[in-house]
Amino acid sequence: MRSLTGLRALVAPGCPLLLLCLLAATRLDRAEGDPADSSFTSLPVREEMMAKYSNLSLESHNISWTEQSSAPVEKNITLERPSDLELICQFTTSGDLNSVNVTWKKDDVFLENFDVFNTTKVGNTLYSQYRFIIFNSKQMGNYSCFLNGEEELRGTFNIRVPSVHGKNKPLITYVGDSTVLKCECQDGLPLNWTWYMSNGSVQVPIDVYKNDKYVINGSYANETRLKVKHLLEEDGGSYWCRAVFQLGESEEHIELVVLSFMVPLKPFLAIIAEVILLVAIILLCEVYTQKKKNDPDDGKEFEQIEQLKSDDSNGIENNAPRLRKNESVEQ
Amino acid sequence: MAKVTRAGSVAPPDGGWGWMIVAGCFLVTICTRAVTRCISIFFVEFQTYFAQDYSQTAWIHSIVDCMTMLCAPLGSVVSNHLSCQAGIMLGGLLASTGFILGSFATSLKHLYLTLGVLTGLGFALCYSPAIAMVGKYFSRRKALAYGIAMSGSGIGTFILAPVVQLLIEQFSWRGALLILGGFVLNLCVCGALMRPITLKEDHPSPEKNRDHGTQRGDCPQASPYSPLTKEWAQMCLCGSLKQEYGFLLMSDFVVLAVSVLFMAYGCSPLFVYLVPYALSVGVSHHQAAFLMSILGVIDIVGNITFGWLTDRRCLKDYRYVCYLFAVALDGLCYLCLPVLQSFPLLVPFSCTFGYFDGAYVTLIPVVTAEIVGTTSLSSALGVVYFLHAVPYLVSPPIAGWLVDTMGSYTAAFLLCGFAMIFSSVLLGFARIVKRLKSTQLRFLAKESDPKRPLWTNGSVAYSVAKELDQKDEESMAAAVTGCNLT
Repeated sequence: MRSLTGLRALVAPGCPLLLLCLLAATRLDRAEGDPADSSFTSLPVREEMMAKYSNLSLESHNISWTEQSSAPVEKNITLERPSDLELICQFTTSGDLNSVNVTWKKDDVFLENFDVFNTTKVGNTLYSQYRFIIFNSKQMGNYSCFLNGEEELRGTFNIRVPSVHGKNKPLITYVGDSTVLKCECQDGLPLNWTWYMSNGSVQVPIDVYKNDKYVINGSYANETRLKVKHLLEEDGGSYWCRAVFQLGESEEHIELVVLSFMVPLKPFLAIIAEVILLVAIILLCEVYTQKKKNDPDDGKEFEQIEQLKSDDSNGIENNAPRLRKNESVEQ
Repeated sequence: MAKVTRAGSVAPPDGGWGWMIVAGCFLVTICTRAVTRCISIFFVEFQTYFAQDYSQTAWIHSIVDCMTMLCAPLGSVVSNHLSCQAGIMLGGLLASTGFILGSFATSLKHLYLTLGVLTGLGFALCYSPAIAMVGKYFSRRKALAYGIAMSGSGIGTFILAPVVQLLIEQFSWRGALLILGGFVLNLCVCGALMRPITLKEDHPSPEKNRDHGTQRGDCPQASPYSPLTKEWAQMCLCGSLKQEYGFLLMSDFVVLAVSVLFMAYGCSPLFVYLVPYALSVGVSHHQAAFLMSILGVIDIVGNITFGWLTDRRCLKDYRYVCYLFAVALDGLCYLCLPVLQSFPLLVPFSCTFGYFDGAYVTLIPVVTAEIVGTTSLSSALGVVYFLHAVPYLVSPPIAGWLVDTMGSYTAAFLLCGFAMIFSSVLLGFARIVKRLKSTQLRFLAKESDPKRPLWTNGSVAYSVAKELDQKDEESMAAAVTGCNLT
């Protein structure tokens, strides 16, 4: 990859000889030791690549500091397709810019000086720009710029493929039911989706054609749905959905829990028992109080009649008790 | 038999078993209104499971709400003819069956039928009889009792919403529906609490009571008296219907009914459109949700405090005025709403609107009881809640259409505000007209018969009706004697 960026720098001013020397040098000085990189150092492939990616979009990202803010800054960049990437670190100060030294790192490995990062000063601001083409998954990572002056300023660009979102919480289903597991990618359009089920640590791809149990479809390209029918208790576990992009893959994990119908039935039966008990108690209380009221002792009859008198005391006279009272008075 | 009934006739206890009735009604309000609001929490689950969009799943909530209100008169009829206890228990069983069947649903249509129609019908059988029962047990502290009972919907929503969310996370929507079905079965417990009470009638004479008692109680026993059976049965049916729904012809009640239509039209869109309106003026999601929470909590506070307030001696005779004042204030809040364009301005709006919304909800049964009396309260409440149904159904879509065509919420809110203000103005106007007529009649009556007592609780209907009732009594007495001869 280092060799590639070196290539870009030399291709731009158009210096083929120097290019060839460099190519030889990098092939000998294999610090990374990655056999795949050598394919990018050969000229025909490079030209092919330039032709293939000739209409790349330019993405420019920038981190800036002033004298007051000197905390390390991180910026997240999501890329799904090959792009022409430009990372800029800028620092504005009234002090001395000549003492500031800029270095770039990718994942804690220093980038060589012949790679294309150039530093310019405009007025009071220092610009350090790193420009390259991203086209495979090994180039993804964290790119940091270090400005060593009076204080060390650090900025990091985290370059990732778009992430996939599933469901954070476990999905609860019942035996015999069917369910839909959904994964979606908000920031990009994956080329392909695959589903895996993992028992323990082994990820087993899901076979859609085996029987009628699994159906994979999605209404839009940025989401996928896995429908699992005729659930059994063994179907519970971890499911993984993986989105494939040109620049890499990202995956998400969904937990499926299959319960038997007894599980919610127990609280339900408990509540039903409580309801029946309460209704029985209340109705029995009511019958008991009614019995007490309707069961007249002999001595209470007079009191009842007194109650009748007081109830009807809205001016209408009730003759019968009055007569009896008169009789008792006369006697 | 008649003697025992008369011995059991009591004045409203205003306490004692009445508080158990209030607790029962509180639980009924939780199990019906709060559970209806919590059904919307299931929508996301239904959308994923049945792969339908929001408008299809939102029908479930509309069907339940509509059925609960539309079938409210049915609830009153059932509880009048069977008994309040039997009616509410039947309602509880129906609603619970709806939830349990819904947990086995395999398509959205099944949910419309079980969770929508069956549960809505069950709720309708419970709601108005329970509220009417509270009115029978309280007179002095009626508004406070209603306040406590109606606060169940606010408190219930507050408590049930996180509980339902937890149930869905633990058991998925099927298990959650099953357990909610068990919870709703507690309506049967509330039903058992509703001990029947026979009150003294509102009208003064006990002979009238006895005649009415025989009219209802002896109707099935009239069949042995064969020659007069048909006439008697017809008179019986007409008489009982007339007694049950006689209030429909009262001018007071007609005015109340029309005003309730406009008031229900005005009050429902706010709960649907406050959050979208707040988001459109730049309030964040969290703050908009906070506005709704404030609305809910202050609603509860308004229920209880306004109920207590209107029970005070100074305000007791002015409950009607307090009711129309609360409705008018809510209308004014609506008119001010398009001007409030930031969060610090919307918070006092939420507080005010929520308080008076709780206030007038508490006073609806109280005002209805004042107009029709406690015997017909159950049927009257059934009709009043029935009149809520169509505006509830129609008003949010109309407001939504206005928002879409005008491009802003102003027109929708102004329409709702004017509807509520019109409702309260109508009530105020009717009351003023009645006052003028009663002062005129009182003047005339004083001149004609100084001895006859006049019922001066502000209602013209009573003094005029007394004459009519006496004429009824005479015809009834003649019929009874005629019957007894054969």
